[in-house]
Amino acid sequence: MARAEPPAATFERRVLRSAAEHHYLRVRLELPDGGARPSVAQFKQLVVSALRELHGEVGAALPVDVLIYEEKTLSAILRVISSGLVKLWSALTLLGFYQNRRCAFRVLQTSPFLLALSGNSRELVLD
Amino acid sequence: MAGFADLNLPQGLDKKSLQSLLEAAAHLGYSAVALNHVVDFKEKKQEIVKPVSPSELFPSLPIVQGTSKRIKVLTRLTLIVSDPSHCNLLRSTSANIRLYDIIAVFPKTEKLFHIACTTLDVDLVCINVTEKLPFYFRRPPVNMAIDRGIYFELLYTHAIKDSTMRRYTISNAISLMQICKGKNIVISSAAERPLELRGPYDVANLGLLFGLSESEAKAAVSTNCRATMLHGETRKSACGVVYTVKKPRKVEEEEATLPACKKAKTQA
Repeated sequence: MARAEPPAATFERRVLRSAAEHHYLRVRLELPDGGARPSVAQFKQLVVSALRELHGEVGAALPVDVLIYEEKTLSAILRVISSGLVKLWSALTLLGFYQNRRCAFRVLQTSPFLLALSGNSRELVLD
Repeated sequence: MAGFADLNLPQGLDKKSLQSLLEAAAHLGYSAVALNHVVDFKEKKQEIVKPVSPSELFPSLPIVQGTSKRIKVLTRLTLIVSDPSHCNLLRSTSANIRLYDIIAVFPKTEKLFHIACTTLDVDLVCINVTEKLPFYFRRPPVNMAIDRGIYFELLYTHAIKDSTMRRYTISNAISLMQICKGKNIVISSAAERPLELRGPYDVANLGLLFGLSESEAKAAVSTNCRATMLHGETRKSACGVVYTVKKPRKVEEEEATLPACKKAKTQA
């Protein structure tokens, strides 16, 4: 029995899953005036300790890289695997102290593409 | 799109630190904040004072980052109730209570939580985040509160300060989410210093940790806050609030030019 030809598909279904392996975060550490500024190694240590504090050893084992760290402005670009973005971000949010002094991480931008961090539309001045 | 809001900044601070707190909030992108006046009935001689008017306190409010508008400052009253008799105050039409934009209650017992969710005329019900929950949430009052448009408030500053409180914050939040399924949640700060404030997107990400979905987490800092403010506004009016926005005229001009264009084509 000849099967009726299915009508030509008028649409096709495409599923795009975010295939990006990493996410990039541009962060700035805010410290009260006059405090000691962390070096690169200390900064990485701070990020890992924040992860350990909130998510334990599993969190501390999360692959996080500090791509750029500028000691003068205390800003950095972090790279993390996409599945760990929420963990890293929440750990940074809930970090409140650096060397027993108050501090705050400001996450300025996040993106799956490093190039997107080259500009920030929120810093543009509106007329 | 509703802007971001933080409905809990403590009012008891001095003017200078409040000003710096407002500036930090505006810089982080919050378009509205509420100054919280707390009344604890356990302590003697607590009376409800008139709300300080924000325009009197700050002659010029900071401009919200990314917009050209100034930050909106509301007033909020939080009543800590530990005895059913305290609720009488809310039922009576006290003149001073009506002056506040938002009214919240902090119930200490299960019975009071039930009363707050089902009968009291409030906008927010605060959830205890600093100690183990003294009672379990039950479905009927929570569902009733969702139907009535009352929101549940979670605070995150305690989670930044102390690791034990962080545990309680997350565990209490998760047990609330099991009952309310992520609906009607507002996350706010109660920050006393600018360094305790977090940006709205950070807070939304924190909502994921509490068991909210991405859209619910974002709603917890934006649309739910707006709904709370509007709920508070309806208390002052007879039945409701309607906002109208003037439609931009540009659309009409485009429509007018389009037929002319078509005309030219047929002629040619």
